[in-house]
Amino acid sequence: MLRLLAVQGTWNYERMLGVGMGYAAEPLLDDLKAVDPVRHGEAVARSVEFFNCNPYLAGLALGATARAEYEAVPGPQIVRLRTALCSPLGAMGDELFWAGLVPALIGAALIGVVLGAGWWAIVGFLVVYNGVRLWTSYWSLRLGLQSGMKVGAAIGSSWLPQAIERVGPAAAFAIGAAIPLVADWYLRPFGWSAGLGAAGVAMAGIALTRWFAPFLSTVRFAVAAMIFLLILRRVGV
Amino acid sequence: MNELTPGVIIPLLLWGTLVGLDLVSVPQAMISRPLVAGTVAGWLIGDVHAGLRIGVVFELFALDVLPVGAVRYPDYGPATVAAVVVGAGFPWQLGMGLSIALGLVLALLGGWTLQLVRRSNARAIQRRAAALAAGESRAIRRLQYGGLLRDAGRGLLLTLLGVVFALAIREHVHLDEQTHLALTLVAVGSALAAAANGAFRSSGRSARFKWLAAGAGAGVLLAVLT
Repeated sequence: MLRLLAVQGTWNYERMLGVGMGYAAEPLLDDLKAVDPVRHGEAVARSVEFFNCNPYLAGLALGATARAEYEAVPGPQIVRLRTALCSPLGAMGDELFWAGLVPALIGAALIGVVLGAGWWAIVGFLVVYNGVRLWTSYWSLRLGLQSGMKVGAAIGSSWLPQAIERVGPAAAFAIGAAIPLVADWYLRPFGWSAGLGAAGVAMAGIALTRWFAPFLSTVRFAVAAMIFLLILRRVGV
Repeated sequence: MNELTPGVIIPLLLWGTLVGLDLVSVPQAMISRPLVAGTVAGWLIGDVHAGLRIGVVFELFALDVLPVGAVRYPDYGPATVAAVVVGAGFPWQLGMGLSIALGLVLALLGGWTLQLVRRSNARAIQRRAAALAAGESRAIRRLQYGGLLRDAGRGLLLTLLGVVFALAIREHVHLDEQTHLALTLVAVGSALAAAANGAFRSSGRSARFKWLAAGAGAGVLLAVLT
């Protein structure tokens, strides 16, 4: 399971997670070497082919394909399983972690920091996040190994779809609460006029990057605004 | 704040390397989140408060990033570490603007270096394509360790470059107080725009938007009451 933590170690645009998956599969396929060395070589070669999904759910595909190799499922069928798992595992994992758990916990940590929890908010974020993440990796690998080619049905009847539905609203609420609190935390010492100025910058940033100049990311907007400000101050405006 | 001696700079470089590795390669434990990276960098420099304040601003920017699929995004980790070097030891209202400016440029540069590492990984894989097709485990291990090493080098170089620029800014860039304050306000305003953008994009027009609005209402209420 530890190797799953580095599944994106060789991330690239051609095979994406492929080589990382092969690295993680190595110890799982080891026993096959003694039983059927030819099959082992083929299995290792298959394990490094193109693969992409959310890294935290990669264990499902890894476990399922490893079991299929031991059950001597025909190679093309294993390749099809890997390909079929890419999109659902990517979508579910991204929804659960990147659009759900991470913003929910970051929002809670930001609220904690603003309310004076300091280090505790950050430690709490790291402990909860890594606890969930490590458990999910362990669970996904175990479920994949248990279900093999039937992994799709096993995912459908697991806790995953329900958790995705619940974590989204929690993330939205936490971020929604964090933004005004953080704004107040920074802008209150400056007073009303400066606060209105910063709010104006924020509005301009949202309007430009969302509607009028979508090619301008918020980072580029910020850099451009700072350069513009420095030029104005330099010429004495 | 501690003096910026090698005894402080070297741990900062190590921290920046770890943070750079954490973003994509290993272990994705979220130490690369600016909130964590900045606070620890502040602790290493002896100004946790500056690290926290700078980390929160970059965290707002990072909320606009959804790292799905092969999307390209800025690398805020090493950038936050370098930004804390600029802002540490000053009142946050004065030190934050310039530090955020440097950090944002470094974050964009960091995003570009990620592409270089990915292309370099692809070239290494192409060179060992025959060994991979033959199912050679040794080739897989070499590629994996090579990829990790490249990303660690990327994090180290990015942090080193950031720290060098940060020290140069501390030494040579002198702005008047009004400009410092205005830069800080622009940085905070832009960061709030980024966080709001990310929140709007994630919630769309679905039921999630109602939760976002409810959260915002609760946040405003709490801000008024505290």
